[in-house]
Amino acid sequence: MKRRGGARRAPRRRGETPYRLRLFVAGNEPHSAQARATLERLCQHALRGRCHIEVVDVFQDYRAALEYHVVAVPTLIVEEPPPVRYIVGSLSDEATVRAALGIEGGTP
Amino acid sequence: MAPTAEARLPQPITKAPTHIAGLDEILQGGLPRGRTTVVMGQAGTGKTVLGLEFLYRGALDGEPGIFVGFEEPPDDLRVNAATLGWDLSRLEREGRLVLLDGRIKPEALRAGAFSLSGLLAIVTGKSREVRARRVVLNALDVALRFFESPVAARNELHILNDWLRNAGLTSIVTYKPRAPDLDGLDDFFGSMADCVIRLDARVVDQVTTRRLRVIKYRGSDFGGNEYPYVIGESGLRCIPISTVGLKHEPLGEKISTGLSRLDAILDGGYRRASCILVAGQPGAGKTILASTFADAACRRGERVLYVSYEESAAALAGNVASAGLDLKPHVDGGRLVFLAYMPEAMGAEEHLMRVMDAVTRFEPHHVVVDAISACDRMGGMQAAFEFLMRLLNSCKERGITILLINQTKGATDRVELSGAGISSMLDTVLFMDYAVGPRETNRLLHVFKARGSAHSNLKYPYVVTPSGIHILEPALGPGEVPGVPPGRAAPGRQPEAP
Repeated sequence: MKRRGGARRAPRRRGETPYRLRLFVAGNEPHSAQARATLERLCQHALRGRCHIEVVDVFQDYRAALEYHVVAVPTLIVEEPPPVRYIVGSLSDEATVRAALGIEGGTP
Repeated sequence: MAPTAEARLPQPITKAPTHIAGLDEILQGGLPRGRTTVVMGQAGTGKTVLGLEFLYRGALDGEPGIFVGFEEPPDDLRVNAATLGWDLSRLEREGRLVLLDGRIKPEALRAGAFSLSGLLAIVTGKSREVRARRVVLNALDVALRFFESPVAARNELHILNDWLRNAGLTSIVTYKPRAPDLDGLDDFFGSMADCVIRLDARVVDQVTTRRLRVIKYRGSDFGGNEYPYVIGESGLRCIPISTVGLKHEPLGEKISTGLSRLDAILDGGYRRASCILVAGQPGAGKTILASTFADAACRRGERVLYVSYEESAAALAGNVASAGLDLKPHVDGGRLVFLAYMPEAMGAEEHLMRVMDAVTRFEPHHVVVDAISACDRMGGMQAAFEFLMRLLNSCKERGITILLINQTKGATDRVELSGAGISSMLDTVLFMDYAVGPRETNRLLHVFKARGSAHSNLKYPYVVTPSGIHILEPALGPGEVPGVPPGRAAPGRQPEAP
């Protein structure tokens, strides 16, 4: 039942920082779906797969929302590399997301 | 949407008592069960206290609740509640109360549109865990301010509203209206709720007065006035008195004034459960007359509450001791209770609370207020008027005799005589006057009004001696109105030993 299994692993390349991301979504709400799609695209392309995404559906696992204090969804928590950052919203403002993830350049 | 839901539920609404002092009377039972109530008010009006108390008292009464604070962390709530004597932590441990931090992390970056579904998921989960029946969303306007546009905020409010309706919880949403209502949110808050309560705090003559008003209550009658309320030592307290004159106890039997001569003038004395006004200039002996009555009542074994706004209990007792009245045995014997406050020490509501508290606890047969002329200092004429009206009503509803002292400035200023526009409530009016002659100044006692009693229309000279007030023979000359003999209906005409 839990949607936590939406993880995507990729072979790590030497010398490159792995990203540990936790994305809180609300079922199939449009903002959540958009955030998920954007994040997956950024991971595959801009981050060249160097990320581990855990998707948490608040409707399936409210305790996780409570634990991470996620009131607004979608919320992306960048757990690694430090410092921990919270990004709220559909990630449509990609410049902010890229800056938060430390992605340089304008690769799609 | 809403109409169909209502069509499916034709049964009358049921109510969830708030157990907040006085509020359930105003709401005629409580808040609409399973529905949303909006509580609006500016900062410092007590919205949070109201919401929290609704949950606290509900939890004690077997209805678990969830409090979502969009403004302050749960720790602040626990600390603030402790000052009101509420142990929230205990209720939390027992699974009867859940405090949730609804604040969006301030350090969070914003990158697009969002919803509060995370919060709703948490509240849903938690309410299942504790089987919640009540929920409070406190300072929802703060959460809505995070939305990128008024449209987004309104959409979210729609979602919340639907969620609340479906959840079947009795809910309170509090928010601070913004003037002007640029984004139309106030209107929407008003329309989403089945019940709307407005809290208001204003400062009049340097004294804060708080007012509560129910603006709307779908499917229910409610008290529509503005009701004073205070945030007291143990929470919010409203004064629901508004049913002016509807439940008054009838005037009772005659009871002694403590002066046999005055009893005769009044054809037997004051009437129990009546309202008596004693007006006069400073030094006329009003306090002594009132204390004489209190003394006589206590001697009969009745209880008297003496409210003093002019002097301390000790000063008052010393003052009347000079007229031979020893009140101490009554105080020691628990028949006489003094309540002495500076009028400006607090607002009129708080004064009323304190008097009513004493009335409830002590259940006096009689109340003396010395003096109503000081009540203006509780925050203006209007506040004084409301204070007196409410106090008079409460006493009349309980069948308590109330004796008011009014200090007048002018000798025969009739307008001022009855004080603060309460004349219609008065059953008996006594005036203690000075008659300044060329060689002497005499004191005169005059009954202006004695509802339901024959009474003398004469002016009676009196003296204040170390053994109390002595009323003397009236000077009976020819009548002042041709054809009307002096001392019309004057039971006190017959000479009688003082």
